[in-house]
Amino acid sequence: MSEQRALLCDTAEAVFAEAATLGMAPVEEAGFGQLLLAEADGGFGGDWGDLFAVLRIAGANVPSMAIGEHIVGQWLGGEVTKPYGAFIRVAQAAGAMDAALAMSIDYVNTRQQFGKPLGKFQAVQQVLAVFAVEAAAVNVAGAAAAAALDRAAGDAETALFEIACAKLRTNKAIGQATAIAHQVHGAIGFTREYDLHKLTGPLLDWRSDHGNDAYWGNVLGTKVAKLGGAGLWADITAR
Amino acid sequence: MAVNMQQSFSIYPFDPPGDVAALRAEVRAFLAAHEPKLGVPNCWVVGDPEFSSALGAAGFLGMILPKTVGGHERHPLERYVVIEELLAAGAPVGAHWIADRQTAPLILRYGSEEAKTRYLPGICKGQLYTCIGLSEPGAGSDLAAVRTTARYTLDGWRISGQKIWTSGAHMSHVMLALVRSEEGSERNAGLSQFLIPMDAPGITIRPIIDMGGDHHFNEVFFDDVLLPEWAMVGARGQGWAQATAELALERSGPERYLSSHVLMTALIDAAGPDPDLQIKGLIGELTAELWTLRQMSLSTAAKLAAGEDPMVEASMVKDLGNSFEQALPQRVQALVDCPSTRDDDLARLMRALLIAAPSFSLRGGTREIIRGIIARGLGLR
Ligand SMILES: Cc1cc2nc3c(=O)[nH]c(=O)nc-3n(C[C@H](O)[C@H](O)[C@H](O)COP(=O)(O)OP(=O)(O)OC[C@H]3O[C@@H](n4cnc5c(N)ncnc54)[C@H](O)[C@@H]3O)c2cc1C
Repeated sequence: MSEQRALLCDTAEAVFAEAATLGMAPVEEAGFGQLLLAEADGGFGGDWGDLFAVLRIAGANVPSMAIGEHIVGQWLGGEVTKPYGAFIRVAQAAGAMDAALAMSIDYVNTRQQFGKPLGKFQAVQQVLAVFAVEAAAVNVAGAAAAAALDRAAGDAETALFEIACAKLRTNKAIGQATAIAHQVHGAIGFTREYDLHKLTGPLLDWRSDHGNDAYWGNVLGTKVAKLGGAGLWADITAR
Repeated sequence: MAVNMQQSFSIYPFDPPGDVAALRAEVRAFLAAHEPKLGVPNCWVVGDPEFSSALGAAGFLGMILPKTVGGHERHPLERYVVIEELLAAGAPVGAHWIADRQTAPLILRYGSEEAKTRYLPGICKGQLYTCIGLSEPGAGSDLAAVRTTARYTLDGWRISGQKIWTSGAHMSHVMLALVRSEEGSERNAGLSQFLIPMDAPGITIRPIIDMGGDHHFNEVFFDDVLLPEWAMVGARGQGWAQATAELALERSGPERYLSSHVLMTALIDAAGPDPDLQIKGLIGELTAELWTLRQMSLSTAAKLAAGEDPMVEASMVKDLGNSFEQALPQRVQALVDCPSTRDDDLARLMRALLIAAPSFSLRGGTREIIRGIIARGLGLR
């Protein structure tokens, strides 16, 4: 992680914490809208890996806020199209899933039943391991899609294969991970009072946003069918 | 919502030195010249000594070993590129697989000079094969329960006991075994690793036929087998730490998600350039999972190459890869009409993998044990 990115992430943590109560204003004031714009144009000159890192933090702290649309919209100079939107949701989901995982681990380490913390029960450990693997998959997929966008100088059509893969994989992970998060939390996680739904609610919504499984499955399946069996491996390794 | 935003799995760039595209092209040219042998399902357990020798002659084995023992001093990530290509093509790499993947690096790191000069050149040539002697009838998941003993005598070490489920023991020249070298020791203390020549007097190998009807693994009995002192690998009593390091190598490779890639290839070919929506959807979803697994595996390989110890990441790759490979033939079966009378490539590969798949989450540590390692990484144990 570059020094610039570390700094950016620290700022994002602080700004998005404020945004949780004050809305978009602090985000706009901090200039996040200029993240992708070139330094020559008065922007921050950030790359797509930087954007991924920032949107992860947004996904964990202010999941429902349209920060990605704000940033990418400024760079595009218009509405975000499906591929960009899908990338934004993947990045947000990476953060929201890690946050929900952290909450879940925290909870099972604290909540006692049968005379010990829930986290000491093997059944609970095993499902949280599955959760961690799914969260890891989303994080890797998002980072790899960002790298593809960087290689393509931000052209989503060139990076469409990676974006489609990342969105499909994320949608799959969300299904499993949100179910596990709620299961290990028991009834308390099903309440309005407790914060878990602030992560799992948006996560579930994001599966529909900017193309659901059927949409991206069709896009990717069409591409791969044309490549042919051997062509798929040749294509993946040439990227 | 104050949360720890540590990424659960941060991706590392995969940056092998040298010309990767040229290396891939070299491997693909080699494979093209061995065409009829390719397309094998579950290919890293299928052995073909002729193929292994040819790979060795082409310089694709012992890639990370020193030239002094016949190796090629290439970067670990260059080796990674080569094995990816072999697995994706379904090459019969089973004969040399264990020797090249884990025994050779272990001998290089911990073995005696005698062991290095005696065994490493043959491994690099693809002509010397090894097997792993960990499991015993009373020691499966609970590996620290091994009972096979090594007694230190005036003549050397004397090995007695039994190993089980030993893959390829019948075609291996040497076993790397974990045995109890301190009398009366318990659990993971007092264990050492030994290199045991499979033709030594006192060894009996009995085949165990698997449910697919294949002879792949074996029982191996040791009746007072005499070994020279140099057969011990590493320091006496350090066997546990060494064996665990070996397992990290065993769990992180692309074989955890690519050993069934030929079924994916067959599915896409059978579907043709414009399949119906459902098939397109399945191909899309499988591609997304394959691609993600590859990113995870590459990233883990990069960490290993950088000298880190990505035990938890390697376990994640194995767990997810096992699940992907196990689901693959079932998902194909659910969507493609393959009655048991159908006998083209797709149907044949699907059936073979339906039968082989249960073993994927057993070998190299079961799913439950692997998830226990991940849970420990999460701070739950
Ligand atoms: C195809 C194949 C090849 C193999 N090759 C080799 C080889 O070359 N060399 C070698 O040494 N071994 C080899 N093995 C053996 C393999 O390592 C063992 O099968 C594995 O470690 C599990 O041991 P077990 O079969 O005795 O099962 P057990 O340990 O009896 O376990 C049975 C079930 O109980 C579960 N279980 C056990 N303990 C726990 C626990 N504490 N918590 C939760 N669940 C638990 C397991 O996960 C498993 O599902 C091979 C196995 C297979 C299938």
